[in-house]
Amino acid sequence: MTRIEKIVWSVLLVFTVALAADAPGWAQSKTITLSMLAGFKEDVVRANLPEFEKKTGIKVVVDAAPFADLYKKQVLALSTGAGRYDVVFVDEPWVPPLSEFLLPLNERMKTLDVADFVPTTLASGAFQGQQYAMPVDCNVQILVYRKDLFEQKGLKPPATWDELLSAAKAFHDPAKEKYGIAITASSDIQTALYMLLAQWSYGAELVDASGRGGLNTPAGKKGGEVFLELLKVAPLNVRSYAFADVNKAVQLGQAAMAIQWASGAKPMEDKQRSSVAGKLGYVKVPKAVRQTPMRGVWTIGIPKNSANQDAAWQFVTWLSGKDFGQAAMKFPSSTSAIHSSRISVLKDPGTRSAVPYADTLYDSLQIAKERPRLREYADVQEHLRVTAGKLTAGELTLDAALKEIDAGTNRILGK
Amino acid sequence: MAVGSAGRWFLLPGLVFLFTIDLIPLLYSAWISFYNWWLLRPRDVRFVGLANYARLASDAEFTRAVVVTTLFTSGAVLVEFLAGLGLALLFAQPFRFLRPLRVLLLLPLFVVPVVGATMWRVIFHPEIGVLNYYLSVLGLGRPPWLSDPTLALVSITIVDAWRTIPFMFLVMYAGIETLPGELYEAASVDGASAWHRFRYITVPLLTYIMLLAVLIRAMDVFREFDIIFVLTGGGPGTATQTIQILNYRAFGLGHMGEANAIGMVTLILVTLMCWILLRAVLGRRGAPA
Repeated sequence: MTRIEKIVWSVLLVFTVALAADAPGWAQSKTITLSMLAGFKEDVVRANLPEFEKKTGIKVVVDAAPFADLYKKQVLALSTGAGRYDVVFVDEPWVPPLSEFLLPLNERMKTLDVADFVPTTLASGAFQGQQYAMPVDCNVQILVYRKDLFEQKGLKPPATWDELLSAAKAFHDPAKEKYGIAITASSDIQTALYMLLAQWSYGAELVDASGRGGLNTPAGKKGGEVFLELLKVAPLNVRSYAFADVNKAVQLGQAAMAIQWASGAKPMEDKQRSSVAGKLGYVKVPKAVRQTPMRGVWTIGIPKNSANQDAAWQFVTWLSGKDFGQAAMKFPSSTSAIHSSRISVLKDPGTRSAVPYADTLYDSLQIAKERPRLREYADVQEHLRVTAGKLTAGELTLDAALKEIDAGTNRILGK
Repeated sequence: MAVGSAGRWFLLPGLVFLFTIDLIPLLYSAWISFYNWWLLRPRDVRFVGLANYARLASDAEFTRAVVVTTLFTSGAVLVEFLAGLGLALLFAQPFRFLRPLRVLLLLPLFVVPVVGATMWRVIFHPEIGVLNYYLSVLGLGRPPWLSDPTLALVSITIVDAWRTIPFMFLVMYAGIETLPGELYEAASVDGASAWHRFRYITVPLLTYIMLLAVLIRAMDVFREFDIIFVLTGGGPGTATQTIQILNYRAFGLGHMGEANAIGMVTLILVTLMCWILLRAVLGRRGAPA
């Protein structure tokens, strides 16, 4: 061996030993990939990420997808087992379908102050006794109304669907571009959920106790009729409306009322974006035979095949924690806000001042109704979305739509 | 080694490419279409034979999607063909001022489909869209472009045409430029009108070019997805729900067998469409199809 060869081998040996000695730290990746919702809620998460990265040294790569694609993308990524994501931001109905691929968190969450989470929000991340995701955004439907207009007419905020319809008719004046209520009637999923909300409150179920479709009933029909009546006092272009359009109709002062997710209320109170900021009142959604605000909590989970589970858990605890919760409550979200699921944050006077609807949000969460917790739920809801779209487009009558929804649900559930 | 047998080896790279890139994935897709494979139940993959195809055959929603796809394809290709041909004939005229416009005409071709569709979504917006602004200024109201079932189909056709008329124009303009000028001069000397020169010289000589352009566009339009997805998502109702929208839904929900069956049916329908088109054009001319 020549002198030069000895030197080269020595350097290589030293380098190898150094790497081996540092192996655990070196092998531990400090980058995690987050599957995130694009457009909605993304701004508040991105704005606060530097704080998490600075605190932990873990870099977070955000892979954001629009709402309509998010579930599909997560299913494909998680089921192929490629370990593409380390943390997934999951709408609560997708927790049961995705549970097969998510890490149970029961052991890890023992280190958390679980009692500080609103119980119904914690349930949103659970399926069949296991906790697969932690609640981040305690979303629930609420009724937004124009306090100033209601006071002018001497009306009280509606508590029932009949009162809602009556009030909406009183404010509806299309010639002046003033409308009774803003909801959606496009092929967007929100349309199906509006109809379901009304049907729930009349006592119908999407999937009944026997596991069969339960909307083609007198209660389901009554709820469907109320939903169709609402479209008559909604903006003229309601058939092209989606979530953001409901916000816009309120912000522009066109709609006297709106049923909207609480997350949409934040931008309505933003003086930069809304001409009616400070003029809005908030109450629970109307009731008929029962009051059933729909729960739509956004959660965060860890895929089983993530190679960075510890780092991912640090991120989960941060995103569902108090510090991020406080910051999120005060963040001026452009379209859809994040409201902490922590009771301590929701009840904190400092954050409550930034959220005028905090009481309505908290009270609604106490009685919130969850959508069926089924592995097949994504299929059931997709069928509901398409059929509700056919109803609002005039392709189906209400009777035919309800029949088709139940038939589809039964087919999907194998009943 | 004989020259003939040596020549066969030169086919090898092409055949390897064909098998690995085209045929193997295609056969794999066909194979999956015979299975009940739901990504959410990875341990429950079952061979079901033709069940996925039988379900599609009995599914009214799929039948409607075939009708919508056919209507959209026919409408879009017809508009694109006529506009492309018209523009090609116009730009073939010896007007110097038209030359710089050729570049501008090609611009939509370079726009990413999703970006173009998003831009048109804003243009079509019933309240803040620029199109409805000018229509209302002219007293023509504010049509609900994307929320009326008939207008929605028209709207996606307009956007598809906007994006791909330049392609039709480019192909046909290139074809027209290669046509021998002597024929036109001879026809003019014989007293043929502009219409006769077009009908009896341009059309016959341009048939293969036109057929090629229409075939390429028909195959593309039949498989169009991004424009429709961004503009309407298949709505309102099922007014713009094409086969590819259904395919996307099936893939997105993790039903791999059903999604691949839809893919195979698309392949069969596109092949059938091309065969009919070739027979209709070339069969009539007596050329081999």
